[in-house]
This record gives sequence, structure tokens and C-alpha cells, in this order.
Amino acid sequence: MKRYLLTLLALVTTLTLVVACAPQTVTVTVERTVPVRETVQVTVEKPVAKRIVIYNSYMSDPAPREADAALVKMFEEEHPDIDVIHSTIAHEDFKQAIRAYLTASTPPDVMTWFAGNRARFFIDKGLIMDISDVWEKEGWNESYPKGFRALSTVNDKQYFLPASWYWWAVYYRKDIFDQYGLKPPQTWDEFLQVCETLKKNGITPITIGTKYPWTAAGWFDYLNMRVNGPEFHINLMLGKERYDDPRVKKVFTDYWGVLIQKGYFLENAAAYSWSEALQFMIEGKAAMYLMGDFIRDSYPDELEGNLDFFRFPIIDPNVPIGEDAPTDGFFIAANSQHPEEAKLFLAFLGSVKAQQYFADTLGRLPTNMGVDTSKFTPVQLKGLELIKGADYVAQFYDRDTTPEMAEKGMAGFMEFWDNPGAIDDILARLEAARQEIFAGQ
Amino acid sequence: MARRTVLYRLSPYLFLIVPLIIYCIWVVGPMLYTIYLSFTNWDGVSSPAVIGWRNYQKLFRDPVFYISLTNNLKWMLCFITIPVVGGLALALALNRNIPGAKFFKTSFYSPMVLSLVVCGLIWSWMYHPAKGLINESLRLIGLDALAKGWLSDRRLVMWAIIAVGVWRQVGYVMVLYLAGLQGVDPTLVDASRVDGCSNWQTIWHVILPLLSPVTVVVVVISIIDSLRAFDLVSVMTRGGPYYSSSVLANFMYIEAFNNYKMGYGAAISVILFILSAVFIFLYLWRVMQTEMEY
Repeated sequence: MKRYLLTLLALVTTLTLVVACAPQTVTVTVERTVPVRETVQVTVEKPVAKRIVIYNSYMSDPAPREADAALVKMFEEEHPDIDVIHSTIAHEDFKQAIRAYLTASTPPDVMTWFAGNRARFFIDKGLIMDISDVWEKEGWNESYPKGFRALSTVNDKQYFLPASWYWWAVYYRKDIFDQYGLKPPQTWDEFLQVCETLKKNGITPITIGTKYPWTAAGWFDYLNMRVNGPEFHINLMLGKERYDDPRVKKVFTDYWGVLIQKGYFLENAAAYSWSEALQFMIEGKAAMYLMGDFIRDSYPDELEGNLDFFRFPIIDPNVPIGEDAPTDGFFIAANSQHPEEAKLFLAFLGSVKAQQYFADTLGRLPTNMGVDTSKFTPVQLKGLELIKGADYVAQFYDRDTTPEMAEKGMAGFMEFWDNPGAIDDILARLEAARQEIFAGQ
Repeated sequence: MARRTVLYRLSPYLFLIVPLIIYCIWVVGPMLYTIYLSFTNWDGVSSPAVIGWRNYQKLFRDPVFYISLTNNLKWMLCFITIPVVGGLALALALNRNIPGAKFFKTSFYSPMVLSLVVCGLIWSWMYHPAKGLINESLRLIGLDALAKGWLSDRRLVMWAIIAVGVWRQVGYVMVLYLAGLQGVDPTLVDASRVDGCSNWQTIWHVILPLLSPVTVVVVVISIIDSLRAFDLVSVMTRGGPYYSSSVLANFMYIEAFNNYKMGYGAAISVILFILSAVFIFLYLWRVMQTEMEY
């Protein structure tokens, strides 16, 4: 018993020592063996503190996580004098934690985040560092497309590094389409025709899982952009147009409502998450899914040959084409304690080398135009073409508008889904919410 | 001598100092801070600015607040009736030495061992509209019309979630009553038999009054559990479809952590706190009075 107590005591003392040592230099963590410590004391020189940069990432899914770690390693090899303290936080938790990170006195230096409104919110509050000098020095003003530069710019200064993006499209089962002699529809009428044929043959035309209702927001984005044009859509997102506008109502009554009424969507969609609803497509019971390209991550590899996608059908050919292409990237916290190292790390993340690696391993699309696209898969190239053909690229409903407006809006979409007759009521409520939410802006 | 009595009288407080400090820092402090936050427009990033009663005014006009409140009341109503009656019935039935009593006790209690999140997940699969156990069984016996989208129909969803809560709670209540039954003096039961009571009369006039302290505990626990209902809703529907299964705790969570309306979320939790306090104090106060007589 006594011996046990002694061991415990020893353990506690060592732990206290370790804790006490830690803040002095970071080298300690690497070389804590006694002889080394002695040499440090002998050579009177101060121990050269290894430079550090703290990097918090939300890439918590297995494949991106691995690629993320590999990037960190590549950077450390290039800069042996810098240690990256890398933490990965689950995606949803990260979204909540970022506010605490940013307001801390010693925030993580570099963080992953969403481009657009979600970044703008923190930029306006002065929580994100101006990195115009990095853009200038790395030549990104030339090597990044104008659209991505605009996405990162507020008042002529760059605050954000867009790093990868993916497209949205209508994914469909090629084999089912072939079986019924269907072609990917390009117009709204063709689309309705395809739905009708599938429905008649006992196949659910469109699968969707709205337990988490962002999937429905995708439908709203596309229908609104195709009917009213991307400019109107983005102004609605920014709170500059009214939700009770007759143009908004038209989206619901003349288009979305028709699909719901004719029973083209999966039954009981609200019971499923997006990936549960994907099962119906994998099993061949449903044929189409409006989804982001990450759908392929969840689709069985052996069946991926059957999966293809087409541009969301054009409703009004006179309206400019808008597409959803959410962009993820990085930024530096305004009160970063290691700004120099952070800028070096960011410069690396935006470099051709890093982007090439990310694009090749994950199949996401890079933002840096210097990336060699010759090794791209046909799927990547097709997605690239899809977005190149767009007049306007939106982020996505819950990224383009404020989180609160998005939450209320998506609940409104779900209510409409359940009770299309109540659309006037719903839009009136959303309009009231919009006025309140955007009142201060 | 005098010093000893002073010390003697002080000693409980001395022992309590450490837990009291901990309690103040981690429970009372945040509670008071939450009340302060409920009068601000804090978004989690900017410094909070006091905006008076605006959060509360907004709350009392917010239809989602009333939906959530009603759902909490439904939950409470179910929780203080079904599991209490069911748990009591099970306890009375299993308190005798019938064969297999241990097995039944264990099986009825076993859901309690699972965390609410796990229960929520399991039942989400059972409720799966296309392939779930419930709908498949209903179709098997030809009751296709009864195979519903349990979690996607706004009229059913709240009851479907409450059912899971009840399923889990019954075993818990049963164990509490079983423990209570151990404390019932068998001589009183024997006496009632000698006096010619029927089984029913024995239960109603002898056992139940003796169990009333347990009933108090059970009802209070049920009320608290129904007010803090969150896990099941969060896992199974997140309050959807469009708020139809929202409860106050979930509503608060979404407003505070999804919409970043920390001040508004704080206001919701203050209301939730007041509600719980009122129910619990009312009940405890009544109980103390009746317990005096006994």
C-alpha cells in the first residue's frame, strides 16, 4: 500500500513538473530526456524556440482528414523550423466552437472556414486578419480566378483563402434512365416528362432526405435562380428583397409545388437524413438526387459507374444561369499570436503544390489556376465545365444568407412541403423574420 | 466547552465549504450569468449589449415558443401518467415470487441502461417508414393503412418520440416502486387481509398510501425529465418537420448554437428554469405538508 502511494506521489510530482515545464519552450516536448536537458544547460545559448503555428481544422471525415494531415506534414518538411500544432474538430462542433476560438486572447492561428457570408460575418467584426500582403506576394491576384478573389475581398482587401470547392447538380442513375429510354433533361418540360415516366414505372423520380432540411434549400436555390435569376436570388439572400414578393411565391406555386403535388419526391422524406435517402437511389428505387458532389463519397465505389449528373434544368432560357458551388478555405485569426508563421502556412495551403495534392487525392476542385488539370478524372472535368458555363456562382442557401434566416427559411420550406396551401402565411412569416434579422444591417 | 460547541455547530458548514464553492462557481455563477445574458443581444462574438426585455417580448410573440411549450406539456402529461401507472403495475406484479420475476425485472429495466441517444437511434430505425420494424410488421399482417411516416408526419411525430421516452421510463419507475415495496411493512398487509380486504382494497387503501413518498419522487423525476427532454428530439428529428416536434430545450439549443442568438437562447432557458422551479416547488411544498400528517 505504501509503495503504491509512493508511486502515485511520484507520478503526481512528475506530472506537475511536466505541466510547469511546458510553457517555457516548445522544445521541451520534443527533448525531455534528462541528458539533453543537461546539454541545453551547458551550452549557455538560449534554447532556440521552435516556431509554431496553431491550425484548427474541421476536416473530420476520414478521407479529407488524411489529406489534411498529409498537407501539414508537407509544410513541416518544407519549413523544418516550424511546428504545426494541428487539431481536427468534428464539422458540426467546429461551427459552434469557432466563435470561442476567435474571441479568445490566444486563438488558433489558421482555421478552415466557408467562403462568403459566413466569413464576411467575422471579417466585419474585425476577427479575421487582412492578408492582402500574402495575396500580393504569392501572386494570387493573378493565379486565382476573379470570382474567387471577389469572394475573399472586403473593401479592396483580401481576408480569405478559397482553397477547394465542389459543384451541385442533379445526380441520376444512368442504368435506370437507359432502361426507360430517358435522356438527361435540359429544360423544365423535359424534366417533368422524365419524372412522369419514372413515376409511371414505379420508380421514385427524385429522392431527398429532409430530416436536416438543407437538402430542400438546394431545391429552393436552384428553382429561384432558374425562375428569377441569380441576381434576384442573391439579393434575397442578402435581405434586400422581400420574401412575400410574388416572384418568390411563383417558385413555390408554379414549380416546387407541382413536383410535390405530383408525388415526384420520395415519400416521407422528412424521416430521412440526406444519406439515408441516398439508399433508395443505391437500391435502384429512386432515380435522381439534387446534391453536392460529395454524394460520390457516400456512393458505393462498385456502383459509381451508374452514377452521373446533369445541370439543373433550365426553366427560362432568358435568365442567366446560376449554380451552387460552395467554397471552403482558410483564414488567419485577427489576433493570431504567430502571424508570420501563419502567413507562411497559409501561403503554402494556397500554393499550387498543396492544391494539386488536395485535388488529386480528394477529387475536389482547386481554386488556383496553376493546378495541372491534365490528371483530372472525367467527372472532375465535367464538373469544372458545369461551373465554367455558369453566369453566376452562389455558395448555398445556408451560406449565402445569415444562419438565423437560413434556419427559419428552411423550416418554412418544410412547412410548405407538408401544406402547400399555406404558402401565403409562410412567406408572410419569413418576410417578418427577414425584416427583423436584417434590421440592423 | 463553549469552543467545542461552536466548532461542533460550525463543522457541517466547514465540511460543506468545498462543495459549496464548487457549486457556486459551476452552477450558481453560470445560472446568474445566463439570466444576465437573457437581457442582452449577445451573438457569441461581439460584446453583449443590454437590450432590456426585448428577448422576452420576442419570445412571447414567437409561435415556435408556444409549439415547444405545448410539446413539453404533452410530454409531461404522458410522463406523469403512463410510466407511473405502468411502472407501479409492473412493480406490484413482479414483487411476488413468480417464476422468472428476475428476468422480467431485468428486461424492463434494461432500456434505462442505454443512453437516450442510443434509444433515439434505435427507434429511428424502428420508425423507418420504408424498412422499419414497425411498418414492416404492420404490412406483414395486412395493416398497410397503419404504416405511417412516424417521424415525418407532423401530427404523429411528437407522440412517436414521447413513446420512446415512455418506453424507457417505465422500467425506471418500476425499479423505484420495487424498492419502495421493500419498505412496506408486511404486517400491515397481513392485517388488512385479516380484516377481509380484497386484493384491490389492500393495494388502494394500504400499499398505495405507504408508497406515497416514492410516488412523490417518481412524479418529480418525471416532471424534471419531461422538461429537460432534449436528447431524443435532437437525435430523432431535431425538432422537425418544421418545429412540430420542437421542445423548449431543443428550441433553445437551435437559437443559441445554430442561429447564434445567445441572448435569445438564454431567455428561453430562463423561462425553462422558471417552469421547472415552479412545478418542483409546488409539488415539494404540497408533499411536505402531507408528509407531516403521516
